[in-house]
Amino acid sequence: MIGYTVSRLLQTIPILILVSLIAFGIIYLIPGDAATVIGGPSATAEDLARIRANLGLDQPLLAQIGHFYVNLLQGDLGRSLMLGIPVTDAVIARSPITISIALYSLVLTIVLGLSTGIVAALNHNRWIDQAATVFALIGVSLPNFWLALVMIVLFSVHLGWLPTGGYVPFTTDPIGWLRTATLPALSLAMLQAGLLTRITRSTMLEVLRQDYIRTARAKGVPEWVVITRHALANTLMPVVTVLGLILSVLLSGSIVIETIFNVPGIGSLLGNAISNRDYPMIQGGLLFVTAALLLLNLVVDILYTWLDPRIRVGGSA
Amino acid sequence: MAANRLLTSFAATVSIAAMMSGAPALAADEPFSCPIKGGELIVGLEGGTPTLDQMVATSSATRNVAMNIFETLVIRDENMSPAPDLAKSIDVSDDGLTYTFNLRTGVKFHNGKPLTSADVVASFDRYKEIGINRSTLDIVASWSAPDQETFVITLEKAQPTFLENLSSYTVPIVIIPSEEAAKPANEIDPIGTGPFKFVEFVPDSHVKLEAYEDYKPNDALPGLSGFAGHKEACVDTVTFRMLTEAGARMAALETGEIHIAENVPTVSQQRLADTEGVEIVRLKEFALNMGYPNWSAPPTDNLKVRQAMLAALDMEEIMEAATDGAFELNASLQFPGTAYYSEAGGQYYNQADPEKAAELLKEAGYNNEPIVLLTNQQFPNMYNSALVMAAQLQAAGMNAELRVLDWPTALATSEKETEGWNFFYTYWATVTAQGGPNSLRNLADPANVFKPKDNKGPEDFNAAFQDVQSGATIEERSAAFAKAQEIVFEDVMAIPFGIMQSAQGIRTDVENYEPFYNIRVSNVWLKR
Repeated sequence: MIGYTVSRLLQTIPILILVSLIAFGIIYLIPGDAATVIGGPSATAEDLARIRANLGLDQPLLAQIGHFYVNLLQGDLGRSLMLGIPVTDAVIARSPITISIALYSLVLTIVLGLSTGIVAALNHNRWIDQAATVFALIGVSLPNFWLALVMIVLFSVHLGWLPTGGYVPFTTDPIGWLRTATLPALSLAMLQAGLLTRITRSTMLEVLRQDYIRTARAKGVPEWVVITRHALANTLMPVVTVLGLILSVLLSGSIVIETIFNVPGIGSLLGNAISNRDYPMIQGGLLFVTAALLLLNLVVDILYTWLDPRIRVGGSA
Repeated sequence: MAANRLLTSFAATVSIAAMMSGAPALAADEPFSCPIKGGELIVGLEGGTPTLDQMVATSSATRNVAMNIFETLVIRDENMSPAPDLAKSIDVSDDGLTYTFNLRTGVKFHNGKPLTSADVVASFDRYKEIGINRSTLDIVASWSAPDQETFVITLEKAQPTFLENLSSYTVPIVIIPSEEAAKPANEIDPIGTGPFKFVEFVPDSHVKLEAYEDYKPNDALPGLSGFAGHKEACVDTVTFRMLTEAGARMAALETGEIHIAENVPTVSQQRLADTEGVEIVRLKEFALNMGYPNWSAPPTDNLKVRQAMLAALDMEEIMEAATDGAFELNASLQFPGTAYYSEAGGQYYNQADPEKAAELLKEAGYNNEPIVLLTNQQFPNMYNSALVMAAQLQAAGMNAELRVLDWPTALATSEKETEGWNFFYTYWATVTAQGGPNSLRNLADPANVFKPKDNKGPEDFNAAFQDVQSGATIEERSAAFAKAQEIVFEDVMAIPFGIMQSAQGIRTDVENYEPFYNIRVSNVWLKR
């Protein structure tokens, strides 16, 4: 297992280099640069030339790429063109915020998705099942930015339960964190909870039709034991498969959600960097997100083998 | 050396203001004093503040915060006329070449260091090196600090609009401590001399300021006028939250999480006005909704085609769509009532005459070539203007089509490309507000955003622009501006669609807040 983990970690290096090269290519192919954003609508060509010189954007592309990799080898992702701070510092400062909200959102997704899916499967073709199906459909259909605004109107403006935005670190004030993180996490979770409900429901229905479930019931095993020990355990496998996917979608969804809720995480950092053509920040943000997703997939694979000992990584069963 | 002391006192300030703008002189009054002190004021900004290094940022989101931290030698008052800020007085030599700025005494930076002319020299040096609008200083031969309280600028040739240009605050020459001035762009600590000092900046979240206890107010004016005059911090802290999503910003205002919300969308204004504890305040002349044709790309390289486009436009329809009804028609590149305001060329504005347009197209030999309208969806005024304009041009027989890109891409395309687009949408806010020379700068050589061939705009326009800058009196400069504006309309160098208004929302416990082109939190207090 250790050898496998080390091997997978080493595989991430060429992937990260490839991602950074692709990112370089894409962002330099798009017209517009940080100078046009800083200069604004009324900047003259002379103004823009001055800004480009200030930012080092007047250097040839190959020189900029070379400069980036030389710095990267020394652990330096460069400085943000807009914020004037080291990209590494910004990523390190912002990532706990996004990770904490993504994990909170994942917990909400699992709780909502699993429970609704199981209840739906156990009440197959009854009204509860239909209600759960409608919930899942709404969850996967609604754009999360729209849902976020509706939640602000409902929970903040009308009910006054939660603030409209902002962020309080968990380490500073856990209750404050819970109050500020709940709406962003819930907005992100709704879509994924709908997806998880559908997967859990269909998997559970299939498992409940298996011979070993019928056998357990015939042997007189109590129903709750049948559900929790036999059915649920076997339902979890496909669910774990999609967890990595769900978490990656939660991370990408944070770009919009963090902007709406005024949360200074990686999502808003990356979103604004793209809008502002802040090349070093885009590079740094993308490298972080790619590394996080690769790591996540590795964790899911390891979790797989832990949940189902029949699976042996890289070898025969 | 004989000299004219221009800005020595409140009365003199008003006289220079009146000279520049034609505004009536105000009566002297007691200096402002905060009726109530304390509290935490929270402002919801519509844009993310990218940096607090004011010398290298044109963004309104930077000025909204930075103009409460930093001060300049001269700034604009409520009428957009130059007024002293860190200067106590300004002596101008008879030949108009030497400007001597006598600094206010007792002013300290937020780090406790007294302001001296060495800091002014260092700030000007930095601005000359990296300041975005450094061309303001192109006419300057040298500057020096003969003593700690005097800063002298010597021009290469006399420029009557020099103070007007120096006080322009699109990218103001803010005065920072000399040790900060040595730092590269975006790497300074935001230390100024203003009524609020910097506490914390969390990008994409908020900027927090606190009252600067040792602030030395400028008593040249008894109260706040524009960014000039007597400023005081009445609240303990101000937090600028970056609430870029309009719905979330309005919700925060409704719930009382913020006290002031920048830019209230028209669709939300009535609901908010009916909400208890919320009030809508308006800036009736916020920006000009504008567009430029591309003189290099066919068919808009043809004057008759451009004139046909202008003839076809119904500005009322365009402005209605662009602003949801919050607009004024305006046949000018300036706001009404200002020193340079003119309606010269106004006969070409809002013609809404498709028959005339068709006739001009015939004369042009127009053969249904595409007219590409380059716009974006980030700014609704630009996108909606393009939608309506496309329909109007099509109705007049033109093959108008939209090219929708994101804002940076559209802007870069209009800047770098001479093909692939025929009309570009933008707006002028502080550019218009700051007078004739500022407004025409983008249309004059070498800037000429309308992409004339060989980068040479009309000679008569450039000559008029030079006269706008060099006219000895405001009357001469205004006359030159009128001439330049008429050429803009006749040659269709740019098309002003109309004036966009701006609405801001405030909680009713906020007192003495007046909307301006940027957020001002000095002299604002919170009711207990």
